[in-house]
Amino acid sequence: MEYALFYAAGTDPQPYDPAEDDIADWVADLEARGVIEYGVRLRPEQDATTVRVRRGELLVTDGPFTESKESVGGFDIIDVADLDEAIEIASRHPAARLGQVEVRPFMQWPDAVPGQRVVPAGLEERPVRGQRYFLAVVSDPAAREEATDVAGDAGDDDYPEAWVQEMRTRGARLFGEVLRPPADTTGVRRRDGRVIVTDGPFSEAKEWIAGFDLLEARDLADAVEIAAKHPMARGGTLELRPLWEFDPSTDHVARTAAEAADRDRRLEPSADEVLATLAGATR
Amino acid sequence: MIGNAFEDREEPPGASRSASSNVFPTGGRQAAAPEIDAALRTAFEGEWARVVATLIRVTGDWDVAEEAAAGAFERAAVTWPRDGVPRTPGAWLTTTARNLALDRLRRRGVEAEKVKEWIVEREFEGGTGGPPDPADVIADRDGPGWDDRLRLVFTCAHPALPMEARVALTLRTVGGLETGEIARAFLVPEATMAQRLVRAKRKIRNAGIPYRVPPPDALPERLGGVLAVLYLIANEGYLASSGDRLQRLDLAAEAIRLTRLVTQLVPDDPEARALLALLLLQHARRDARAGADGELVPLDAQDRSRWDAAEIAEGLRLLETSARVAHRTPDRGPYRLQAEIQAVHARAATSAATDWAQIAARYDELAGFGHSPIVELNRAIAHGFAEGPQAALTALAALEASGSLDGYHLLPAAQADFLRRAGEADAAAARYREAIALARTAPERRYLERRLAELA
Repeated sequence: MEYALFYAAGTDPQPYDPAEDDIADWVADLEARGVIEYGVRLRPEQDATTVRVRRGELLVTDGPFTESKESVGGFDIIDVADLDEAIEIASRHPAARLGQVEVRPFMQWPDAVPGQRVVPAGLEERPVRGQRYFLAVVSDPAAREEATDVAGDAGDDDYPEAWVQEMRTRGARLFGEVLRPPADTTGVRRRDGRVIVTDGPFSEAKEWIAGFDLLEARDLADAVEIAAKHPMARGGTLELRPLWEFDPSTDHVARTAAEAADRDRRLEPSADEVLATLAGATR
Repeated sequence: MIGNAFEDREEPPGASRSASSNVFPTGGRQAAAPEIDAALRTAFEGEWARVVATLIRVTGDWDVAEEAAAGAFERAAVTWPRDGVPRTPGAWLTTTARNLALDRLRRRGVEAEKVKEWIVEREFEGGTGGPPDPADVIADRDGPGWDDRLRLVFTCAHPALPMEARVALTLRTVGGLETGEIARAFLVPEATMAQRLVRAKRKIRNAGIPYRVPPPDALPERLGGVLAVLYLIANEGYLASSGDRLQRLDLAAEAIRLTRLVTQLVPDDPEARALLALLLLQHARRDARAGADGELVPLDAQDRSRWDAAEIAEGLRLLETSARVAHRTPDRGPYRLQAEIQAVHARAATSAATDWAQIAARYDELAGFGHSPIVELNRAIAHGFAEGPQAALTALAALEASGSLDGYHLLPAAQADFLRRAGEADAAAARYREAIALARTAPERRYLERRLAELA
């Protein structure tokens, strides 16, 4: 079974320990076992951009979709035998100590080809041509109903076939999947050496990530344009997060220090700048 | 055959009501001879979990497994009175259930050949080629039947399921209780409980919760959750939270049976052993706890000769060995402390001879494990018996002020009892009335009413 492991800050983190929280061993072990399919780390929240379409109007805002402190900081996709193996892997990731890990299975489609991977083969070897973005499809059923009632802005629940086709042709979408709902999610933390497994996701928010896509775009304005075409932009919310360059073989302590410094530096243009760019492009 | 089968509509004494209710068709069935009825009930109690567990392993589908098992028992209720009880009822039931499951999977459109291959493959190869499931090791040691049920216990008690669903699913799947019964036990509407069970089974499938006993390195982390589920089931059996019956002996017995299974899996775990001791020591008092009308008989008024001596002896023996096993980890766990409290009661020849100071000390230690208001309540009562009513009344007043037991009848009941002992009859009467209004079962209400009447 394939699972997405989402990493988030926790409310009761353990103190940082360079020896225990080095990710290199974890990655090396999973690669040796052939379990890991793909993993990325996301740029901090201030580089997030939220995209919605309401009454035909494009709304672009700064920041992540939720005000919660627990937003996703990265994810891995793994292919393992069952939930227990996924829990074992999640519990050894540094995020399980420093925060928490959410284990989410993928939606199984009735016409799914058995053995087909979520991540297309050869993706890792493909040269990066633009900026890669994590596009989180955020669902809030209550808001979706409201949007449908008020504006006739029907939220399309179906898998966005046409969008996927178009973006694949453009080379903008590398892969994407729909996740199973929060009820099928498992939380994993490690505190004082003990693995704590809980039912459900880490966030009590009524909005949750229902699926995601990995995009390759020229820049944020391009990515926003792609996101705005996604059917779920009308009923739900889309969040764009640039990926954080990540090489597990670099010196861990130096990387952590560099990332801490990088956290305050804004990489992406602001939402206003993106809107101005988009307006200029259409004029 | 002795006796008139058609007139005999009485349930045999000691038969578990719950065991029969969801299997035997109620309307229009041919009444069976008592021996057949008894055989059916024995088969149900002994084989339900095993049949379901085997079918889950074979089909990988919980709903199909449950339906097929229920179908097999229904078929037994029809054919056994006609053809006689088969020589090996368990094997008969398993084979019948497996055929029903096969039919069901075929009707669902799964290709027949595929189903056959799948079942044969799973059943004979077993496992996924990984390290051996600890349940199989137990099976080799203790004969067939243990493995699948143990897998079922650990799957139902998986920490990725919400706690209330774990208890409900264990009762339904391992204990064979009906959804309605579980709903009544936990004071929720039947539809809510049905939803909860459906969601739990769906999560097992969708989240990929494996059907097995976790490997040895994960076992210590999982064992705590399993023991907690078994403890909750026993608690519900010991003092039913609703209904007309004070005790649910079927639940208590089921919890003991399952805990025994777990102690075979982890013979060196002091807490598993202590939990079994605790459950046995409590269960041993079942006959003395209820009077002729099913009313509650408090500990100090129980006829101790009616306590089950064999169970008490086993409980005390287990506790001793638990202490010996625990020597390497000298800290007492919460189950061991509770078992030791029950052991003090069990060793006292009379109520007056009870060593309350020792009990109070154990409760003090138990309170260190967390903030359970029920533990605090019992702790206050123990100190009251050890040091006099005033000690209890002070502690109970503090507990009342905390509001953590609002609406729980045993708090005013305890206050009433110690007020009565302190000679404050009017204040005691007021508290008894409060407790009566809050009591959850009829026998408890009747007991409190009698105490109130005695005051006057």
